[in-house]
Amino acid sequence: MADATRDVVELQIPAKAEWVAVARLAVAAVANRLDFSVEDIEDIRLALAEACTSVIRHAGEGDPIRIRCEAGPDELSVTVGGGSSVRLQGDVRSEDGLGLIIIQSLMDTIEYRAEPSGIVLQMAKRVEKR
Amino acid sequence: MTPRNTDSGGPQQDDERWDRRRAREAFAKFSHARVALERGDADDGTHERLREELVVAHLNLVRFLAVKFANRGEALDDLIQVGTVGLLKAIDRFDLERGVEFTTYATPTIVGEIKRYFRDKGWAVKVPRRLQELNLSVNRAVERLTTKLGRSPTVTELSEHLGATQEDILEAQELGQAYNLLSLDTEVAGEGDKKAHTLADYVGQDDPGLEMLEDRANLERAFAVLSRRERIILFLRFYESVSQTEIAKRLNVSQMHVSRLQQKALEKLREVMQER
Repeated sequence: MADATRDVVELQIPAKAEWVAVARLAVAAVANRLDFSVEDIEDIRLALAEACTSVIRHAGEGDPIRIRCEAGPDELSVTVGGGSSVRLQGDVRSEDGLGLIIIQSLMDTIEYRAEPSGIVLQMAKRVEKR
Repeated sequence: MTPRNTDSGGPQQDDERWDRRRAREAFAKFSHARVALERGDADDGTHERLREELVVAHLNLVRFLAVKFANRGEALDDLIQVGTVGLLKAIDRFDLERGVEFTTYATPTIVGEIKRYFRDKGWAVKVPRRLQELNLSVNRAVERLTTKLGRSPTVTELSEHLGATQEDILEAQELGQAYNLLSLDTEVAGEGDKKAHTLADYVGQDDPGLEMLEDRANLERAFAVLSRRERIILFLRFYESVSQTEIAKRLNVSQMHVSRLQQKALEKLREVMQER
């Protein structure tokens, strides 16, 4: 999705809960560069934490979580993926039920899929016209 | 999505006492009672009792969700309360026939209610101010701790000193400036003939107790080294907020001279304070 109008910020953190705060800060800083309201930034931050928690649950010891922010002029898209040694069994979606619904209530769009390289959670929020 | 709340961080919705099967049964009975009421049957309180049971059974979901918004500076109890309003709405509107789990259905409603509460409280306006206040406190704490420790403090030390999270402190430093804010020097209208205050006057001190008293006592002692004129200038400038130009007029000297005298007086004070 190479797009000249979108700036890309990528971050990789260890799949450990104590690193999520770093990702929250970084993504909040990216969101702040768009014209998001404080409330939206706080929502994005919470959604990101939920996404990271989901991925951590599927990740093994030492796995990385990759976070990719694409900042368009009026939309922020965040992709959280990871768990190279993820063992997917059954319906992955059911495992992350509430977290995903929380993200759904905070962001405009959310996609969730299992890939050979791990699970990928893509979410986006548009800047509201004021 | 067909969520199951088996994740460790989730509310323990599916323990033995209240599993999904029981939730479905309870909702079936509840909707039965509602239909009976709508049909015009006498109200024996069953509907209300079942509703109550459903609320109690799902309070941990409300709590689980409210906690996620607790870092936004509003009391958790208030969030749980408005979240419970959302829960009630969800219970009344839930339709078993739709085939979704109640938690799936209720979560957006509860989150929506919590978010509405923040909007009603004008929260988005308060947050940047809170951050900027924290930003000022951080700057002050950095100075204080640097003097105390003889080195630059760590964020962990700052966080302990200020009772704020490390994330908040980092953000206050990074983003505190970035938000579009009123200047702290903006004058807030004074009452009647009282002089106007600036926003900065209303910003809380992080340790207003003993430390300030101590500083004040030290400062008073330090004042002894100043000349009478220097004392007058500092008094007018910092206690009475008189401008340098106005002081110059009163003392019948140039504003440049007042500026130099003030500078010198402050330097003297700083020296004395650092000796202690």
